[in-house]
Amino acid sequence: MNGSAIGVSRPRHDAVLQVTGRALYGDDYERPGMLYAKALRSRHPHARILKVDTSRALKLAGVKAVITAEDVPKNRYGFTHLDQPVLADDKVRYMGDVVAVVAATSWDAATEALDQIEVDYLPLPAVFDPVEAMKPDAPKVHGDSNIVSHIKIRSGDVTEGWRISSEIVEDVMRTQVVEHCHIEPHAALAELTDDGTYVIWSTVQRPFLIASDLSRILQYPMNKIRVITPAIGGGFGGKNEITIEPYVCLLAAKTKRPVKMVLSREEEFCGTTVRHPYIVKYRSGVTKDGKIVARQVEIISDSGAYVSWGESTLSKASIHAAGPYFIPHVRIDGYLVYTNNSIGGAMRGFGVPQVGFAYECHMDNIAAVIGMDPLEFRYKNLLTDNSSLPTGQVLEFVTLRETVRKAVELVGWKKEVEWE
Amino acid sequence: MKKRGKGIACMFYPIGFTSYPNPGSAFVKVNQDGTAVVFTGATDMGQGSTTVLAQIAAEELGIRYEHITMVTGDTEKTPFDLGSVASRVTYIVGNAVKRAAHEAKRILLEVAAEKLGVSPDGLCAGDGRIYIKGLPERFLEISEVARIAQMGKGRPPIGSGSFNPITTFLDPETGHGKPYGAYVFATQIAEVEVDTETGVVEVLRIAAAHDCGKAINPMLVEGQVEGGISMGVGYGLFEEMVLDNGVVKNPQFTDYILPTSLDMPEIRVGIIERPEPTGPFGAKGIGEPSLLPTAPAIINAIYDAVGVRIRELPATPEKILKALRETDQGKA
Repeated sequence: MNGSAIGVSRPRHDAVLQVTGRALYGDDYERPGMLYAKALRSRHPHARILKVDTSRALKLAGVKAVITAEDVPKNRYGFTHLDQPVLADDKVRYMGDVVAVVAATSWDAATEALDQIEVDYLPLPAVFDPVEAMKPDAPKVHGDSNIVSHIKIRSGDVTEGWRISSEIVEDVMRTQVVEHCHIEPHAALAELTDDGTYVIWSTVQRPFLIASDLSRILQYPMNKIRVITPAIGGGFGGKNEITIEPYVCLLAAKTKRPVKMVLSREEEFCGTTVRHPYIVKYRSGVTKDGKIVARQVEIISDSGAYVSWGESTLSKASIHAAGPYFIPHVRIDGYLVYTNNSIGGAMRGFGVPQVGFAYECHMDNIAAVIGMDPLEFRYKNLLTDNSSLPTGQVLEFVTLRETVRKAVELVGWKKEVEWE
Repeated sequence: MKKRGKGIACMFYPIGFTSYPNPGSAFVKVNQDGTAVVFTGATDMGQGSTTVLAQIAAEELGIRYEHITMVTGDTEKTPFDLGSVASRVTYIVGNAVKRAAHEAKRILLEVAAEKLGVSPDGLCAGDGRIYIKGLPERFLEISEVARIAQMGKGRPPIGSGSFNPITTFLDPETGHGKPYGAYVFATQIAEVEVDTETGVVEVLRIAAAHDCGKAINPMLVEGQVEGGISMGVGYGLFEEMVLDNGVVKNPQFTDYILPTSLDMPEIRVGIIERPEPTGPFGAKGIGEPSLLPTAPAIINAIYDAVGVRIRELPATPEKILKALRETDQGKA
């Protein structure tokens, strides 16, 4: 009798709602008297803001309020670094920075009002290449250095590793910027109730992070902030942090009406986080019998204009950069660099797809150099039970070899494989 | 000419946040008719985690899956959860739900033990019943036990639970420490066909062998793997947001190319189950790892097919043709 619920392909708990179209997503929520909010984003990748004049926009029919940086009680957020403004104040640091948000009685009225907001910018020199950004004379995005963090992992002694290697193979790989492309864009609706509670319906992966960030940004108690997640059309890390929730709350407080905001697909691309592009350098030493004895990795991660999840992403990438192989001598250096590009954030795999692409292609290149079959070369070096990682963590219950054998069983390999 | 090749890629990936505490928590109440409600802050973005959590609650309580209601993603109604990130919900929130359910079940077992004249430890719950271990014919319906507990004994069967994996921060100079509680493993093999005249790559099939500890819901595991592979195909071959001096040049789906169903290969999923003792019923996670090996397996398969090494993603036809020409010139 026991065990009936586990290991069984139960239908999803919301299957009927989903297939009958009755599941309510972010933009499906409405409240009486609701207003619609649209954001004005930067016109420059890097500029000082001299003046923001909203007076002409406020005179337009249907426009109920416009918020700027002055309206935000605590205008900075971030996970490891509080470097990102809710609304740009002193500077804009990338094209997606929001300078003002309008609430109006229709989407059209809100959109038209954006053209009537006057912003005086003083354009500043910008930097788009992370390697250039690391140089001392590069334009600075924040403070006096663009290098935000340097993650180090050290295990054994790579100098000794090179000495005992019979071949040393080097590769440089680059990964691109990709967007999450969750099919449902960010949507949020806020209502300030009669008892002074903000109720926010928002398409987020982390409602409690939104609640605690809102509490700090709005300087408002958490028991008066209620974040509710509707049905969500995908996240992949793109809905992992606060985005439009402060705007709808501030505008709801200012207008005493519920306010909704939904990002367009274009805004999803231009104004939300993306997967960090990495430049990854690999150098590995192998012995004659195909054992990897040393690996050195350098990662340069383009954080864009703010850190967001960049440091934790780079940390995860660095921890996994040696790959699922036992290598006694490892040296990994990861650099996170500010530029005036789009912000790298959390995205499915959190830095590891970038290094994973690099280390697995590097593995094939090494196999080619030493004339071994790529599968057999991997199999010889894979982590097994009680292998230790470059962090010193010892792994248990390792099934890498089982997964290789299973994959071969499913589609075969280029040749017959003799398993050790 | 069309040429075929095979490529392999392996990966390991952790469950949960790097070093930082990332707890999940849950409340459980059993109603007096034997149905139950689970409250947790974890949200479902489509991956099916709420279904998995309901299965875990059902299993622990011994109540049918259909009799579990999930209340999720409401910061006022539910206890804290860190969030649906880091492939952590099944492992971390699953453990929290299991602990909360266990606490509620304990009340039911104590009440049933009195009626059946045995110790609570001699009882188990399953299929909507509480029965004597080894003697399933001596049972009480959970509905009856719940009613007696709540209205007869004045002991509402409720429970709360939380879970946080044991981790440490890394030494800033050496990177040493224990950043994660559990790891998962996978291998994918891709078979591709490359058109040497156009540079177009067709991914013919992918074998995806993934260890997730224990598949609570095998259909949802397969769904995650297939979804991850589609994202990996996009990462490897199509997707790139082009920035020119900070300006996004392709901010729409006409120029930013996502794979469609026509681009998807035949996928053969192999689930490996080696239960993780710290996971709920042995489970770990599958969300992010499913995507990881796909792009490198494809790039390695292209190398096997036509001998060109793509070092910058995505492997567009233009890059492949350029690399093919360079290889030809090198030979000439």
